[in-house]
Amino acid sequence: MPGDHRRIRGPEESQPPQLYAAEEEEEAPTARDPTRLRPVYARAGLLSQAKGSAYLEAGGTKVLCAVSGPRQAEGGERGGGPAGSGSEAPAALRGRLLCDFRRAPFAGRRRRAPPGGGEERELALALQEALEPAVRLGRYPRAQLEVSALLLEDGGSALAAALTAAALALADAGVEMYDLVVGCGLSLAPEPASTWLLDPTRLEEEHAAAGLTVALMPVLNQVAGLLGSGEGGLIESWAEAVRLGLEGCQRLYPVLQQSLVRAARRRGAAAQP
Amino acid sequence: DSSVYLRYIFNTCFRTVEPLEYYRRFLKENCRPDGRELGEFRTTTVNIGSISTADGSALVKLGNTTVICGVKAEFAAPPTDAPDKGYVVPNVDLPPLCSSRFRSGPPGEEAQVASQFIADVIENSQIIQKEDLCISPGKLAWVLYCDLICLDYDGNILDACTFALLAALKNVQLPEVTINEETALAEVNLKKKSYLNIRTHPVATSFAVFDDTLLIVDPTGEEEHLATGTLTIVMDEEGKLCCLHKPGGSGLTGAKLQDCMSRAVTRHKKKKKKIL
Repeated sequence: MPGDHRRIRGPEESQPPQLYAAEEEEEAPTARDPTRLRPVYARAGLLSQAKGSAYLEAGGTKVLCAVSGPRQAEGGERGGGPAGSGSEAPAALRGRLLCDFRRAPFAGRRRRAPPGGGEERELALALQEALEPAVRLGRYPRAQLEVSALLLEDGGSALAAALTAAALALADAGVEMYDLVVGCGLSLAPEPASTWLLDPTRLEEEHAAAGLTVALMPVLNQVAGLLGSGEGGLIESWAEAVRLGLEGCQRLYPVLQQSLVRAARRRGAAAQP
Repeated sequence: DSSVYLRYIFNTCFRTVEPLEYYRRFLKENCRPDGRELGEFRTTTVNIGSISTADGSALVKLGNTTVICGVKAEFAAPPTDAPDKGYVVPNVDLPPLCSSRFRSGPPGEEAQVASQFIADVIENSQIIQKEDLCISPGKLAWVLYCDLICLDYDGNILDACTFALLAALKNVQLPEVTINEETALAEVNLKKKSYLNIRTHPVATSFAVFDDTLLIVDPTGEEEHLATGTLTIVMDEEGKLCCLHKPGGSGLTGAKLQDCMSRAVTRHKKKKKKIL
């Protein structure tokens, strides 16, 4: 970047070679069962320097998340904010959850230079909104918990994977939570098919008319977050999509439970003096 | 057994309250708290080509320290002062993920130093001849963006970054490009790819200096924090010195420096087997 003196200078402008590629057949996503979930690999407790961490791999999407804290909150007291449950600390004393979402420059088809910009901030906010209902922030007065998610490779449903990884990392860090948060992505295939596809791949997301991410707390069966955009058509269609997403989240839950149990066992074995 | 338990409690407290003294007791016995000897390296593991969206990638683990390198190749106009060369642009990122000492935002001092170090290694060792990256002099060249992200910071980041960069570059495959004479536009054949021509294999070896005299190899995060100085030596396979990085800290005698260099050469021989 020309003005950024903190990084090594490269050329002013560069283009990906794909722009100059010979005409190839348009890659179209193949038809598949709309309710299929890609196999998920989840591992918690893998980073040595973070209080809690988790790595999630679903198809081509690879996300790593780390949690640090609780440490003293910076800045002044937060005056308003959402009213917490009455029996816990008043809103001004509740802990804060600071989320950071980063995309590696090599994560997508086109390289994205490091200062991510608006999209990363929007996703970080989405992460925070979805995780707050699950964390007992009233138990961490005047403290802040920092959650950092790093997307290493985007193979579709990146936000959903990041949500799940973040919740696993929080659980791994021993943060008090009401429940885990499981995320699921959906996308609406364009005309004429017009069906909602669960856990889309990157190709399906690129060709989609609309996208949706749902976050569910499986045991409490409450929706923690919902983020969607695009031209979806009828309201019933969106309701159908949300229902599909919630089912997908419930199906993912056992895998995540197992990964936490394994991580706890590993910790126990390592702690033997 | 209560006495073992009490000793364990004492040791943990001692380590927190007086870390330097704790360390000195180990150094006196010529070893370190993690069980290594002073000249022993941590196990290195490499995982190549795991990121399919990158043109080349590698994940390196040096003990707990984990660095991932992803290379993306793009087209650009060659620099005006060197029309027959391409670009290799490294960038080291130390996100808050890897250690609680880093904050999110623009690259801090340590990240900038590491990026500059990698740029120096690339330049001095001539790992890739920039002329190889030129497609059409003065008009089109390749630019290789090498993004290194530290995932877990437990000391010796420079060794891990150098190794990750080398492994990722060896994994890079570039599509064939021809310039159409009539339209003067580039034509890319994504189906035909070839590897880069890697000329040298630089390997970095880092040392930490304790109490101005004692040298230990491959320091962990805690050791780096307690050290009075650090030193990194980059060697290539012909025993040629590519880069020497000694950012301040306690001075070293010529003899000690020579000893470090010979250790770096031995290290290179061992590491080379892993990459090839």
